Amino acid sequence: MLGYTIKRLLQMIFVLWIVSVIVFLMMSFTGDPVFMVIPIDSTEAEIAQAREILGLNNSLIEQYAVFLKGILQGDFGRSYVYRQPALDLILERLPATFEIVLVAIVLAAVVAIPLGVYAGANPNRASSRAIMSASLLGISLPSFWVGMMLIFLLAVQWQMFPSSGRGDTVDLGWFRTSLLTADGWHHILLPALTLSLGTMAIILRMTRAGMMEVMRQDYIKFARAKGVSRRGMLYGHGLRNAMIPVVTIFGLQLGDLIAFATITETIFAWPGLGKLLIDSIYRADRPVIVVYLMLVAVLFVVINFLVDIIYTWIDPRITVK
Amino acid sequence: MTINANIRRLLASAAMIALTSSGALAKDITIGLTSDAVHMDPQAGEELSSNIMYYHLYDPLVRRSADLEFGPGLAESWKLADDTTWVFTLRDGVKFHDGDTLKASDVVFTLERLKKSLMANLAANIESFRAIDDRTVEIKTFRPYAALPNDLAAILIMSEDHVKKVGDAIDMKPVGTGPYKLGEWVKEDRIVLEAFDGYYMGEAKVDKVTFRPITNPATRTAALLTGELDIVQDLAVRDVARVKETKGFEVVTRPSLLNLVLALDMREKSPTIEGKNPMTDQRVREAMARAIDVTTLSRAIMNGLSTPSAQYVPASHIGHLDGADFRQMYPFDVEKAKALMAEAGYPNGFTLTLDATNNRYVNDAQIAQALASMLAKINVTVKLNLMPKSNFFGYIRVPSDNSSFIMSGWDVPSGDAGSMYGVMFYSRGKKEGYGQVNRGSYSNPEVDALIDKADSTPRVEERDAHLQKVTEILMKDIPMIPVHYEQDIYAARDGVDFKPRTDKFIWAYELDVKE
Repeated sequence: MLGYTIKRLLQMIFVLWIVSVIVFLMMSFTGDPVFMVIPIDSTEAEIAQAREILGLNNSLIEQYAVFLKGILQGDFGRSYVYRQPALDLILERLPATFEIVLVAIVLAAVVAIPLGVYAGANPNRASSRAIMSASLLGISLPSFWVGMMLIFLLAVQWQMFPSSGRGDTVDLGWFRTSLLTADGWHHILLPALTLSLGTMAIILRMTRAGMMEVMRQDYIKFARAKGVSRRGMLYGHGLRNAMIPVVTIFGLQLGDLIAFATITETIFAWPGLGKLLIDSIYRADRPVIVVYLMLVAVLFVVINFLVDIIYTWIDPRITVK
Repeated sequence: MTINANIRRLLASAAMIALTSSGALAKDITIGLTSDAVHMDPQAGEELSSNIMYYHLYDPLVRRSADLEFGPGLAESWKLADDTTWVFTLRDGVKFHDGDTLKASDVVFTLERLKKSLMANLAANIESFRAIDDRTVEIKTFRPYAALPNDLAAILIMSEDHVKKVGDAIDMKPVGTGPYKLGEWVKEDRIVLEAFDGYYMGEAKVDKVTFRPITNPATRTAALLTGELDIVQDLAVRDVARVKETKGFEVVTRPSLLNLVLALDMREKSPTIEGKNPMTDQRVREAMARAIDVTTLSRAIMNGLSTPSAQYVPASHIGHLDGADFRQMYPFDVEKAKALMAEAGYPNGFTLTLDATNNRYVNDAQIAQALASMLAKINVTVKLNLMPKSNFFGYIRVPSDNSSFIMSGWDVPSGDAGSMYGVMFYSRGKKEGYGQVNRGSYSNPEVDALIDKADSTPRVEERDAHLQKVTEILMKDIPMIPVHYEQDIYAARDGVDFKPRTDKFIWAYELDVKE
């Protein structure tokens, strides 16, 4: 187990290094950040002064060396635009993204897994067919459209929910959350629902496919024969064996939602990470993009690690090596 | 006893009414912006949302009104001591938010800090400065420069004590002399400003202003319609009709200062043109100007929300030439344009590339496409090279080794054409601080001489006269084709007294709400 963890850690460092190199190379094609922060009619002397202030007067390789050296000392660099540590900018916005993803993923799991089990166990019922058609909609409707429709109907027409923003928040140390206030919940429901639809549909379909496969197995018949209740059979024997692919997808979706909730965040003016990433790309703000993508890489590695651990709980025959 | 009790009850209810009504008198307003502010330190950078915050928190020495008139700000008066020396007298007893009194040393500190910052360009014309006494500042310019007060309207005065105390944290903890103090700033969610009761021009009418960054235009409209916002900036064109139809809301538009212009390369050899550059011939430039139908652009692409440009600067500016209209000098006329092309020896036209942005100006990519098809009618084949703004401004920058034909916007909030003419039309490389954005390499000794003259008189009328002559020559020479001014579109709920400013800087001090 320890060996496995160390191996994963080394893997992660390698992935992070690759990400940083790619971003550095990529950003050398996206224009000169200095022109994003100074007035266009600046003179050569003023441009030189700005380069000096931003640390852009060295070659790309030297800048990369400075960046690597900084990382080893725990300094991830400063945003050219915000003039603040890039990591702080990200951490400041992380709680908002984190909580909307949490609500979305819980919502997705709570709705999708029971429906998936039902549809997988009773594939021929009309209600199952209805569920499956609805899930197709969930996959194919783009989230910006769903978000706009929810705002149009529930916020503008019927005035049931606010259209945007995060509402009242409570500070828990550095973590600012809206999940502890009624106003916060009022604000989070529409964006979380929008964000969850795609994942909900995918998990539902994966669960159903897994269940249909499992339900044909002999041990299900034996379980029934031995007198296990239908409910116990579906969830205890059926679902547990159908879970492996679902957990894999679940992990990937979780990472995906945190990293790229951008569209939903933009539509609902949700103060999360997505907006920062988009703005930083537009403004060629390399330090923020590097740290953001490295964070995403860490996130995926960690989630995959956890998924591997969960496999061993679900199926004791699996061991991590 | 009963009388007493009754009186007491009466008094109590009167007190209740007084309490509730004074509560109702506290006015607040919520404004939807297109993006969050990036800074609260006015010397750290500029984009619209930050600029809006700066002018709430800080004041300049010279104030620019909503209609670009310049008048006293923190300086109550100023005079010229000699051709290059200006003496500014500060108002007495102006307080910073932390209670400190504004002193001349704060102004000196601000200018020193500015010279070393990313925004040094704002002080480009200032050579030196010093405090004469607590209320008097002397500023020297490199050469006689009549537009100094206009320039100073963009320089916001910071507190020396406070900046030295908080250092870099000034970006999060701003203290100025402005009408509002920073209450709360939750990144990407809201900025709350509270009226400063010690403001020297009197406390603001609106006590609390909340700015909410909402990037998606449709969401901004929705938030207005649900009553979450009182004013929205940059209403989407497609929502204009909808908001107009809805009872209780109004749409407010105002032509902006941003002039969309096409720079034509004047070099003998142009990067994207094979052979000799036809645009060195004035007739070819005139033909191109005549081939562009700004009315159609406005109607078909801008939904009527643009104003064709008559000159390079709007009528309010120093250097605007009364009565001259580019559209009357060169009305849309394809036949005439073709004839001019033939006369110049290019009946079969030529091919060049237009560099333009696709995310900087309203409908920029569509405008570029329309321009290409309009110029095709006079056999000028325009290849489009569209790119995001992060690439664009580095790509086109002087010496413009890649560009022959550039579409970009230019605004002059200082209200002075000289600042634009000096950087855009002065011959390149002749004088430091001149011609650094002369992307077409236009060079006319007469223009250079006039700009030199304008920049060597401390009297505004003379400056105006010289710059008007420059305008006249430019309109004949056509180094650039002015296209249109975008219109700024806002919407507000009824009961909000809101008039947009020419410089787009929404200023809550000028706002009021009816209860």
